[in-house]
Amino acid sequence: MNDGPVSTFQFLGLTFSTANVVSGLVVFLLVVAVVFFTSRHLAMKPTKGQNFLEWLIEFTNGILKGSIPSNEVSGFGLYGFTLFLFLFLSNQLGLFLQLTFHNATIVRSPTSDPIVTLTFSLMTLMLAQFAGVQKLGYKKHFTNYLKPFVFWLPISIFEEFTNFLTLGLRIFGVIFSGEMLLKLIWGLATSHGIATMIVAVPIEMVWQGFSAFLGAIQAFVFVTLSSVYISQKLEVEE
Amino acid sequence: MLSHLVVGSSLYFGDSLFYAICFLLLLWIVKVLAWKPVTKMMQDRADKISSDIDSAEKSRTEAAGLVEQRQTALNASRGEAQTIVQNAKTNGQQQRDQIMAQAQTDAQTLKANAQKDIAQEREDALAGARNDVADLSIEIASKIIQRELNADDQKALIDSYIEGLGKHHES
Repeated sequence: MNDGPVSTFQFLGLTFSTANVVSGLVVFLLVVAVVFFTSRHLAMKPTKGQNFLEWLIEFTNGILKGSIPSNEVSGFGLYGFTLFLFLFLSNQLGLFLQLTFHNATIVRSPTSDPIVTLTFSLMTLMLAQFAGVQKLGYKKHFTNYLKPFVFWLPISIFEEFTNFLTLGLRIFGVIFSGEMLLKLIWGLATSHGIATMIVAVPIEMVWQGFSAFLGAIQAFVFVTLSSVYISQKLEVEE
Repeated sequence: MLSHLVVGSSLYFGDSLFYAICFLLLLWIVKVLAWKPVTKMMQDRADKISSDIDSAEKSRTEAAGLVEQRQTALNASRGEAQTIVQNAKTNGQQQRDQIMAQAQTDAQTLKANAQKDIAQEREDALAGARNDVADLSIEIASKIIQRELNADDQKALIDSYIEGLGKHHES
C-alpha cells in the first residue's frame, strides 16, 4: 500500500484519504449491520443473535470492570462496546478485503493508518479528561497533575502525550505490519509462478490467521488501556 | 506512511474529523439499536432471576410450613383414630356384657315360664282327664247297668276304681 499513490481529495479545505474514508464507511456499516441483525427479536430467553450480542456486551463490560470501579462502569459501557467492535472489525477488514481502484488502495484496515488510530487514542484521552472533570471537578482534576509533588507537573503532562502516542501507535504498528507482511508474502507468491505460489500460500494463510488473532488482541488491548486511562482520571491521587 | 505525520501539509486531518464524527454517530446508532434494549433486557432478566430466587425461597418456606402442618394434622388424626377405636372397643365390650346379661336373664325367665306352663298344662290335663274319665265312665256305667246313679256315688266309685287301676299299674 505504500507503493501505490495515496488517493486523496479536498473537502471544505481539509484533506481526506479516499482509502480511509471508504474503509471507515465499510466498517461503520459492518458494525451497524452486526448490532442490527443481532438485536432483532429481543426476548427474555435469548436466541442465537441476542446471545452473541449479550456475550459481547458482557465481554466489553468485563474489560472495563477490570480497571474502572463497578459503579462507574455503566457510563463507559457503550463507549467500550462500540470501540471494541469498531476496532476489531477494522483490524479484520484488511485481512480479508483489500480493494484497489486505479492502482490506489481504497479498502483496507482503517487501523493500519496512524491518523485513524491516533484519532481513537485522542478520543479516549479526551473522554478520560472529561470524565475526570465531571467526577472530581476542575480543581481536584487538575491538582492531580501536581501529585505526588508540584515538580511532577512536566512528567504528568508528558505522560498524557506518551499515552496518546503509545495507545494509537501500538495498534497501528501491529495492524500495519500485519498487512505489510501479507502483501510481501503475496508478492513472493506471485513472483516466480506456481513454485513460489505453493510455498507462499500456506505461509500467507498462517500469517492471516495469526493477524486475525493479533487484531482481536489489539482491539482488546486498546479497550483495556482506554479503561485504565479513564480510571486513572476518576480517582484523586494520593 | 509515517512521513505524512511529519509533513504537516499532507496529514489528512479530514480523516481524523471524519472518524470522530463517524464514531460519535456510530455510538448513537449502537445505543438506539442495541445497547439500550439489550442492557434493559439483561437488567430485566437479572431482576426476574433475583425475584424468582426470592419467590422460590418463599415457596420453599411455605412448603416446609405446610409439611409441618400436615405432619401435625396427621399425628392429631392418628391420636383421634386411636381414641375412637379405644372407645369403640370399650363400648363393644360393654354392649356385649349387657347383651349377655340380658340374654341370660331372658333365658332364665323363659325357662321358668316354660316350667310353670308345663306344670300348669300337666295339672290341667290331669284334671281334664279325670273329669272326662268320670263323665265317660258315668255314661258307660249308665249304659251298662241302665241305671241312674247320683254323681257323688259315681265319683266315689270311679275314684276307687282309678285307685285300683293305679295299684294295678304299680304292681
